[in-house]
Formats: sequence, C-alpha cells, structure tokens
Amino acid sequence: MIPEKSSNGALIDARSISKVFQSGNETINALRDVSFDVGRGEFVSILGPSGCGKTTLMLILVGLTIADAGEVSIDGHRISAPYTNVGIVFQNPELLEWRTALENILLQIEIRRLPAVHFTGRARALLTQVGLCGFENKFPFELSGGMKQRVALCRALIHDPEILLMDEPFGALDALTRDQMNLDLQRLWLERQKTAVFVTHSIDEAVFLSDRIVVMTPRPGTISEIIKVDLPRPRTLDRKDTPQFNAYTGHIRKRFLELGVLRDG
Amino acid sequence: MAEAPSSFRTAGRNGRGWNWASHGAWFTPCLSLILCLAIWEAAVRYFAVPVYLLPAPSAIARKLVVSYPLFLDATMHSAVAIIVGFGVAVLVGIPAATLMIYSEWFRRSVYPILLTAQVLPKVALAPLFIVWFGFGLLPKVLMTFLISFFPIVIDSLTGLNAVRPESLMLIRSMGGTRWQSFWKVRLPGALPSIFGGFKVAITFAVVGTIVAEFVGSDNGLGYILVLARGNLDTVTVFAAILWLIVIGFLFYFAVEIAEWFCIRGRAAGRSQELGAGL
Repeated sequence: MIPEKSSNGALIDARSISKVFQSGNETINALRDVSFDVGRGEFVSILGPSGCGKTTLMLILVGLTIADAGEVSIDGHRISAPYTNVGIVFQNPELLEWRTALENILLQIEIRRLPAVHFTGRARALLTQVGLCGFENKFPFELSGGMKQRVALCRALIHDPEILLMDEPFGALDALTRDQMNLDLQRLWLERQKTAVFVTHSIDEAVFLSDRIVVMTPRPGTISEIIKVDLPRPRTLDRKDTPQFNAYTGHIRKRFLELGVLRDG
Repeated sequence: MAEAPSSFRTAGRNGRGWNWASHGAWFTPCLSLILCLAIWEAAVRYFAVPVYLLPAPSAIARKLVVSYPLFLDATMHSAVAIIVGFGVAVLVGIPAATLMIYSEWFRRSVYPILLTAQVLPKVALAPLFIVWFGFGLLPKVLMTFLISFFPIVIDSLTGLNAVRPESLMLIRSMGGTRWQSFWKVRLPGALPSIFGGFKVAITFAVVGTIVAEFVGSDNGLGYILVLARGNLDTVTVFAAILWLIVIGFLFYFAVEIAEWFCIRGRAAGRSQELGAGL
C-alpha cells in the first residue's frame, strides 16, 4: 500500500461515495456522490432522516461495506478491507448474552489476540468511568438498556482505537438516559480526543456533541450541508436552552423543512 | 445511576430454596400414577382378565424382578446402538449444518438429499439393511443415525443462522477471522437451538433402534418384544415396554444435563477461566 497523504491532512477522507442496493428488481440509490472528511480528534455527526444511508455511509468509512463508486482513505491509506483500528457501537448493544459485562468488553481483546491479563484492569476502570463499578460480573439480561449500551461503549474503547464509530447508539434509550449518555460520551471523548463519527437522527444530540455536523438529504443520501458547531466545551445540558444552541438547531430544522423531511401543519 | 437494573426484578427467579410449586408438580403426577396402577390391578383381578390379554401390574413387576438379567442384557444392547447412532448423528450433523451455512453450493447440493431421506419412511429401509448388513450392530446404528440426523441438522442450521449481522460486523472490525466468529459468536449463540434438536433427536434415536431390532436383530429390547409377542407372553411385552420408557427418560435427561453444563453452567465456567488468568 502506498501512503498518499490527503491534501487537507484529515484522518478520514471520503471522496464521491455512491452506493446502490438491489432489492428484487428495484434499485435503491442509498448514497450519491458523498464527500467529506473528518479531522484527527474531531467529533463529526452524520445527521439525517431514517433511511438516508447514514449507517451505510458509516460502514463504508471503515471498509465494512464496499462502496459502488468513490473511495475512502484513512490516514492516507485507501480502505479496501475492514479497517481495524476502530471501536464501533451499534444501536443495539450487540452484547453476547452468555458473557458477563467484563467478558463482553474483553471480547475485543480476545479477537485481537492481545493478552487479556493486561486489559482486565483497564476494562474495570472503563466500567467505573461509565458508572458501572460493581457490574463486572453481571450478564446482559441483568442490565438495563442504558447499562448495556455503556458496556458496548467500553468494549469500543478498551483497545484504545484511533477512531470511534457510533451508529445511533442512544436511539433506543429514553430521553433522560439519553441526556446522561450524551454527557458521559462527551466526557469520555474529551479525555481521550478520539476521532469520532456519530450517526444520529436527533438534531439536539448532533449539535450538543459535534464539532461538525454533516446534514444528509433523504434518499438518495447526499450531503445537504456541513455545519461547524462553535460552542465551547465541555458543553452542559443547560447550554441547550441558550440562543446560541437554538440558533444551530433552528437552522438545521429549517433545512429539514426545506428538504421536505419535516412538514409544518 | 439513573436506571434501575432489571436484575432486582429477576433475582429471585433462580432461587434455590424449597419450592412448594415445583415439588407439588412431582407429587401430583406420582399420586395419579399410583391411582391408575391400583385401578388397573383391581380391574384385572375383579374381571379375571386372561394374562395374555392384559397382565396385572403386580405380574409385570414380578417378571421385571425375576427376569432382571435378561432385560438388563437386552437394554445394554439397545443402549449401545442408541448411543452410537445418536453420537454419529451429532458428529456428522453439526459439521454438515456448519458447511451448509458457509457454502451455498454445499447447501444446494445436500439439502434435497437430506429432505428426501427425511420424507422417506425409514422403516421401509430396514429390510434392505438386513440384506446388506445382516443382523449385527451396524444396521441398528444406521437406522438410529438416519432417524435422528434430520432434527439435529435442521435445528443447528436455524441456530447458526440466527446470529445478528451486526455481531459479525463487530468481529470483522476487530480483525477477527471467520474461524473466530464461528467459535466466539455463531456456535455459542446456536447452542440453545442445537440442544433443542438434540432433545428431539434422542427420543427419535430410541425409536430408530427399536424399529431396527423389530425388523431384524437377535438381541435388544426390540428383539425381546417381537419374541414375546410370538409366544403370547404379554407380561414380557409389558415389562420390555417399561424398560423402554425408562431408558427413553434416561437418555433424554442425559441430554438435558449436557445442556445444563453447556448453556447455564457456561457462564460460571467462563468467569472461573477468566479469574484463573488473573
């Protein structure tokens, strides 16, 4: 592989990504000509309505799905196979029900054939950081939805990956738990400064968490706008009621109205 | 912590204390069984039913005690055929299901053969087996294997296919191999389903062996049944049926115990394994 640095020095560089799905004799254009980049240590959200290809785009970024056109490079290397210096959190926690919280986190280590002994302490520390101290030996069925997602987050961070990918990780949680998870995620991210790609359909969540927001159109998914969020960190929940915050959410909501994603009256 | 852990609600589920409900579940059927036997005994005596038509429970019990070595020997012969036939079905069935998951070509070519073998009444093959393999262990094992193979393959397929695609993607993002995702995710996730297949298959296996012994064998419980029927020795027929019920239960429970170790015991075993590595 020949390393060729991308012109702007971004860590993830997606160029003209297109993806088509074949469903029976119907052709679905999931993504059309999507280009954007993610800087090192940057938190970028991909925001859009359901079915606009956000998840597909995220999977393409790390080579878990292959694009029909366009290419992705990470740190200058073109992605043609799954990129493994990554931690992923899906909407469903995807915990293995026969493993305890700790064992689920250490799956990441086992699969990578790293010495589990060295990472057990780290896994416990991570669990403590997300407020799950004492839950190491609980099985997934003994945990609430929010707790399971916290364990999934620990599993995505245990090996200290370069990139953290999240696909609507808090989409199935209640509003209060979701707010708490957003705060916890921001704290974990600020401590580590990982490059993060966060897929969501919540305008609020995207503005609260992101450095930049990639706003997607409905199918076929294209980029409508990329918004830079200039709000100081660490952001607190009461910031959500400030005019600065509402300027961003209002702007995006207006954009979705124009796109026909939202309709008044 | 904002959320209440669901463990508080489910903690009592696996309690080990004395449980009246579950002991009542044993007590009531035992009582009704004894009652049935008593009515049977009384009716046979009162109406003086000839013993070749319907022997009294006491006569059957006497037979069981007196001819104990005979039945034990026959049971051993049947049990060997059941164990070997079922064992081969497991050893062939799970790899076959695994191959069918990973190879579309293999699935397409094997599935029709599998289905044909299943819809075909296997009893019809028994005479052929005698012609080909004589009266030994082999035709019994073959019949047992054929009859218990199908549920094992089908349930293994269902279980192995039930894996969530996101789980497999996670393994790929960890740089995992196909081999790793099979051993760490697919197979453990499929175990409940696989054991479901085992439970059906083990009861079929008993039937397979007895049918093979019916048609052509010189030992085993099926052979005793045929012999006793020929002599109008109804007491022996009933005694043999009782032995069949007992070994049927024993084999079924053996599978349940294995399941307990593999599925419920697994969690505890794994954490011990992990603890030992610390």
